[in-house]
Amino acid sequence: MTVAASPEVGAGRGGRSLRRSHGAGARRGGARPLPPAAPPKLGGSFRASRVRSMDLRHLLFTLALICANDSLSAGDDLLQWPQISKCRSPEMETFSCFWTAGNFYNLTVPRTLQLLYKKSNEEDWKECPDYMTSGQNSCYFNASYTSVWTPYCVQLASKNEVYDKKCFSVDEIVLPDPPVNLNWTLLNTSQTGIHGDIQVRWDPPPTADVRKGWITLEYELQYKEVNETKWKELKPRLSTVVPLYSLKTARDYEIRIRSRQRTSEKFGEFSEILYVSFSQIGIGCDHCTEEVEFPWFLVVVFGVCGLAVTVISIMLSKQPRLKMLIFPPVPVPKIKGIDPDLLKKGKLDEVNSILACHDNYKTQLYIDDLWVEFIELDIEDPDEKNRASDTDRLLSEDHLKSHSSLGVKDDDSGRASCCEPDIPETDFSASDTCDATSDSDQFKKAAEKEEDLLCLDRQDNDESLPSLANTDLQRQHRSTQSENSHLWAPFGDSVESPRPSVHTQISSQNSLASTDFYAQVSDITPAGRVVLSPGQKSKLGRAQHEGCTEPNFTMDNTYFCEADVKKCIAVTSHEENEPRVQEQVYNEDGYFTTESLTTTVANFGASTAAAPSSEMPVADYTSIHIIQSPQGLVLNATALPVPDKEFNASCGYVSTDQLNKIMP
Amino acid sequence: MALARAVGRAGERAGSGRAGAHPDIPRPDIPRPDAAALSAGAAAALALLWLLVCAPGDAGCHPLTVADLFDRVIRHSGRIHSLSTALYAELEKHFPPRDNELGRPARKCHTSGMLTPNGKEYAQKIPREELTHVILKLLQAWKEPLSHFNQHIEHHQELPDDSLSKAKQISNMVHELKTGVEKVTEKMQSMGIISNSLNGMASSEDTGLSISNEANMMSDSDFIHCFRRDSNKVQSYLKILKCRIMPENSC
Repeated sequence: MTVAASPEVGAGRGGRSLRRSHGAGARRGGARPLPPAAPPKLGGSFRASRVRSMDLRHLLFTLALICANDSLSAGDDLLQWPQISKCRSPEMETFSCFWTAGNFYNLTVPRTLQLLYKKSNEEDWKECPDYMTSGQNSCYFNASYTSVWTPYCVQLASKNEVYDKKCFSVDEIVLPDPPVNLNWTLLNTSQTGIHGDIQVRWDPPPTADVRKGWITLEYELQYKEVNETKWKELKPRLSTVVPLYSLKTARDYEIRIRSRQRTSEKFGEFSEILYVSFSQIGIGCDHCTEEVEFPWFLVVVFGVCGLAVTVISIMLSKQPRLKMLIFPPVPVPKIKGIDPDLLKKGKLDEVNSILACHDNYKTQLYIDDLWVEFIELDIEDPDEKNRASDTDRLLSEDHLKSHSSLGVKDDDSGRASCCEPDIPETDFSASDTCDATSDSDQFKKAAEKEEDLLCLDRQDNDESLPSLANTDLQRQHRSTQSENSHLWAPFGDSVESPRPSVHTQISSQNSLASTDFYAQVSDITPAGRVVLSPGQKSKLGRAQHEGCTEPNFTMDNTYFCEADVKKCIAVTSHEENEPRVQEQVYNEDGYFTTESLTTTVANFGASTAAAPSSEMPVADYTSIHIIQSPQGLVLNATALPVPDKEFNASCGYVSTDQLNKIMP
Repeated sequence: MALARAVGRAGERAGSGRAGAHPDIPRPDIPRPDAAALSAGAAAALALLWLLVCAPGDAGCHPLTVADLFDRVIRHSGRIHSLSTALYAELEKHFPPRDNELGRPARKCHTSGMLTPNGKEYAQKIPREELTHVILKLLQAWKEPLSHFNQHIEHHQELPDDSLSKAKQISNMVHELKTGVEKVTEKMQSMGIISNSLNGMASSEDTGLSISNEANMMSDSDFIHCFRRDSNKVQSYLKILKCRIMPENSC
């Protein structure tokens, strides 16, 4: 009950009087009920939290006081003191004060309450001159009692007690009456007839003497549709004519206006509501369609579809440029010299080998094979190419394929030292490892090649043995050569210089040769493997064979006449070559006439003695394990039939002198 | 001279009614007047100044009517009143009142002793000359205290610059308004609307000194409150005076 009563009290007051009563209540020691306090209006969100907490505390305090009052007060109703609710001047010529009597049951006569007033320059309190004009519980001061810019004080009192007091100045309490005579006229309508403009005009409040200019009023217009709840406000303006634009003719509107003094902030009461109905003047459009809102849904749907279609068309389009523009391609990993397909297939071994060619891996390579550093490549040799081709031919076909599959060109320039294709072990057993025992296959292959080189017919495999021995001898003699990588180079030169055509012949024949008993070492890989060129043997052999093919030359290749030998074999003054040539001659099946031998021997020096030893059964192929420049060749001991076991069975070093001993 | 400036200032501000020159009056090409007291004013004000001074009968010289002049000074006083109201609100915010705003004891303004009409009837009853004199007296009474107030308020660091500029503006405008009212008075006297007995009323100068002493005792917000009230007085008096000048209005 008590709580219900307090809102009533609060509603009857303005904002100022609320505070006033609050203050008055405080003066009386809190016996009066405190109405629910209005929250102070503070701007700024940064104060919001503090405000809320303050409000909460205030509210709790108020509630506590109300409860306390409730417990204290005996009566059911909330005890209310008489209060001056407000004082108001409508035109700055008169003013009135209003108060509430409160529920004092002690006051049997309502007139006990008096309103006393006093001007600032007076001492005595005077009583209200007119209690009636403004209604009950009011005091009306007419123009004779009103001094506009004079401070007044009024107080509500009974005989004994002063209940409330207020001080003000008349020019501060001006609250004009509402405007009157509102009406509206139609200005124009839109072409479709859906919207219309109207003009609202009114008269200023009759009490305010605006005409003489004693008071200047501002007006604020508010309007809304009939079934809306929130009013739309226009800015306050001085004129009494206001246009309203773009009203919907299908709807009805309500308009109300209030006024205030120009320099004050408080508005007076609202005027009566003006109803605007277009249908009354006959232009109402009931069947007009509602304004279509922006079709957001359709826009979104169509936009998404269009975008999807565009994207799909771009993706499917054949135009690469457009595709690249919209969808730039992701760069595939690229390493120089490596086919990306290789990476995809996952042949890591091959990739590693290629990567080994790059500088990053070179150090590892060197670590493994230190002796490789000492290899000198003779790049200037013109026979290089042929030798390279021979090497290719020497390799089996599948190796060639694998070679090409690795994507590495057999380019000797600069990369020969490291970029030799990693030929599988099955190729040549000219391995660098000391303990590598050559496979029998390698053995035989080499043997075959050697035979060819020795101008031996392939059919004569039996004679391969001595030829092999000769091969060995040749090899041994080869060791004298300083250049290991191109052992046949000098010989090649020696062969070529007298007979340039030999090589061509040989090359043509080399293609036919599938097996060579004797192979020329054309190159040494850094891994230590020997790259044999198949052609040399056949070169010599064939050359001798071909070149020496004379009508009287037997085809069995076993016998060469001295003259033929002389022809076929290049006579050089090089002592270095002599042993080889001699050996070649020697290796031609070993059958030489004494005369030829002697001639050759005479020509070529001491190595003639090596001829008879050709009869010694020697292995078809001797794998060279280590080549030490410039003086030594270490041959595979197994291949070498060493009568006197001076040779090391494995990885020994054979010097030239030793060789000379072996091969007398 | 100051009237034209005041008029020009009135035209510059966003006030009610016409802004700038009267539409009926063309602006002739006039040389600048020689006046040391004039601060920078609008070009329109200067043009209007010469229009006032120009002798009747000159070609291309269209003098302003009294009504127009009154409109301008009324607008000017209205702006002064608005400014003082705003300044008072700002001062109240920065220096909150100790007591309830409506329970505050009446402020004692230094112009409280002046005898001014306190109602519309009184303003209508007293002679025009007296009304004009009251207006001028009020403006004179506030001239000096306002300049003191400006100097005093500049040392206030708590106040925002907006308030300080407002106070300065008010001071200037009051000076202009006084000059403007004097011009209007001269015009009226020249036209015979009011008598020339105003020139004898020089007593306002004597009371100015004592008044200004009292003004220094007040607090800033009280000071501005007093001024706000007096500016409202001035505006109302000017309106009534204008109404009384026009014969067609039954003021």
